[in-house]
Amino acid sequence: MNWTHVKATAAAAVLAAGMGMPAAADDLSYQEVTDMLHVVMDTDRSVYTKNVVARLAVKDKVIKASEYYEDEQALPLPAQMFRFGAEGVADKTDAFSYSLLSLWPINKQNAPRTDLEKEGLQYIVDNPGENFYGEEELGGEVYFTAVYPDVAVAQVCASCHNDHKDTPRSDFELDDVMGGVVIRIPMD
Amino acid sequence: MSRNALLWLIWFIATLSASAAVAALVFVGGDRSSLLIGETTGTHAQFEMACESCHAGNALDTDKKQAKALNKTCVTCHQDELKASNDSHPYKKFRDPRMADYWDLIDARTCTACHAEHKPEITRPGAVTLAMDYCVACHSQGEQDVRVNRASHAGLGFETCASSGCHNFHDNRALYEDFLVKHADEPWLHEAPVHELEAALRSPRAPAPAAAPTPTPAMSPAPEGALTVEIVAAYEASAHPGGEVGCASCHAAEAGKEPSAEDVLANWQDQPGTATCESCHKAEAKTFRIGRHGMRRHPKIAKPRDPVRALKAVGIKLDRKGELATLIREYLSDAPYPTVMTVAESPLPMKAEAAHEELTCTSCHGPHRVDLNRARVESCASCHDDGHTRAYFGSPHHKLWQAELAGAAAPGTGVTCATCHLPKEETERGLVTNHNQNDVLRPNEKMIRPVCMDCHGLGFAIDALADPGLVSSNFQGRPETHIESIDWATRRVREKATGANQ
Repeated sequence: MNWTHVKATAAAAVLAAGMGMPAAADDLSYQEVTDMLHVVMDTDRSVYTKNVVARLAVKDKVIKASEYYEDEQALPLPAQMFRFGAEGVADKTDAFSYSLLSLWPINKQNAPRTDLEKEGLQYIVDNPGENFYGEEELGGEVYFTAVYPDVAVAQVCASCHNDHKDTPRSDFELDDVMGGVVIRIPMD
Repeated sequence: MSRNALLWLIWFIATLSASAAVAALVFVGGDRSSLLIGETTGTHAQFEMACESCHAGNALDTDKKQAKALNKTCVTCHQDELKASNDSHPYKKFRDPRMADYWDLIDARTCTACHAEHKPEITRPGAVTLAMDYCVACHSQGEQDVRVNRASHAGLGFETCASSGCHNFHDNRALYEDFLVKHADEPWLHEAPVHELEAALRSPRAPAPAAAPTPTPAMSPAPEGALTVEIVAAYEASAHPGGEVGCASCHAAEAGKEPSAEDVLANWQDQPGTATCESCHKAEAKTFRIGRHGMRRHPKIAKPRDPVRALKAVGIKLDRKGELATLIREYLSDAPYPTVMTVAESPLPMKAEAAHEELTCTSCHGPHRVDLNRARVESCASCHDDGHTRAYFGSPHHKLWQAELAGAAAPGTGVTCATCHLPKEETERGLVTNHNQNDVLRPNEKMIRPVCMDCHGLGFAIDALADPGLVSSNFQGRPETHIESIDWATRRVREKATGANQ
């Protein structure tokens, strides 16, 4: 694939600085930018899942994690934390957007909608350990779209999804690909 | 010059002048009421001539930019209630490019997609200007097809989604599935129904005025004749003396703290305005200004335009002396926007004798005798004259209130107008009354959690609020409507054990 090179966005520069890379990098490809963004997202997501939810709600059992965390005075679910972050980013910039999707979503809003999302999510399931990259036109604008596998990093990921009343699949196991992180950058 | 040429010249000059006059009204200032393209909705009518409150964009911007600016002003005022409602369809959700195929169906990135203004002929409950089956646009296809996702919904019409008491577009805090299941088995009335927050703030009715009260030091100084027996008695029965609020605190607020007698008398106002009350009762004032009663004091309403400044920006000086400049300034000046609403301006049925009343703090609370019990019922009924209000007197809720007033029932067991429409809230500053009477009203399911469920089970509350006849009779009787939400939700959860949902 012929990757168009782009000037590093402010987000990428910040990420680069945080990762010990030269902050002045100014010729990153779209793929390099989304890869860097994903490293941060994936790491934060894993930390929250393991060090907060799995530890407090499963191991120590001092608090629950619930979709209705305000009503239940509980922890937000890892997927909600991820979505809140995505919405917060969308409030601040149009330079990129991201979401957590799955071929087996509990919330139907998180099912793939675009053809590329469907292709990408199927690809990362069929090719464990690999990412998917492509371009798509949405709302009259062309996007670079990257899909990264989202795996069950803790047993609680699999067990909660398997037991949820709305799950379309109940045989997830630790380290299974349960869905994918989709990152988009407008190419204009 | 030929006659035709002269007529063309006259026509040209007249057209140019008329266009300039109209353009000046639109872009500079002046009475533009004749240019209103259609009545605004609900309480927007209270400031509809302050056009810039909503139309904040630059007139020369592209349509897209203007639409963005317009919608930004919606959020400016409504963001708090949307946040509090745990909005089911936040506009930010639809900004994601993956939602692009929805934009052609209903562009929910903008408020105006569903709530167009100045279109009274197509404005429906909830200020919705779409056909009431609008849910069909997204929830009849693909993964969002509700008829596939919910077997119980297979035969339902999309016009019933938001009109039956089952769903709202924004606020579903009392209607989401897990909440329905959690409260499925509640009785219609709890064993010892009481409004806990109300109970904490209610006190016995103010004592009767003393026969010949004596002015206290806190009252002095005051102009001669100001301290009538009635006023002093009312003041002493209020909470103000306990709070060391004297006459000068309100009537001579401009005199500063611990003013001299001369300062008080020099700054004395017989009828201090609402701003005086607001200076102490900040939390109440904040919600009063965002409700219908005090909307005209809303902080986000645009100020009248300044024609001198507007024309100066394009190089025209209007601050000159002379009759012509004065005439133009008068033509281009916005009339001051009213800061209070009168009862006569309400679109609701009101008592004719109250038509002239203005809606300020003292409309309900009285200036000196701050009788909260009067404010809870009688103040409302002194203006409102609809069936729901009239039916309150003699209703079960009213009887409970009478019992509480008589000391025959515990504080918080009586149900007043304010119990439901101006509920108490716990804030960082303690318990306060929410003076935005619309906060729990439209749609009325917003009332279920903060009000109804203090005393009633969820199922009864949903049914009761979905029965217009019962609402109109002020809940005298039982609901004739049954909303099946809870039945369907519990059935679905039980069927989970059999894998029926997968």
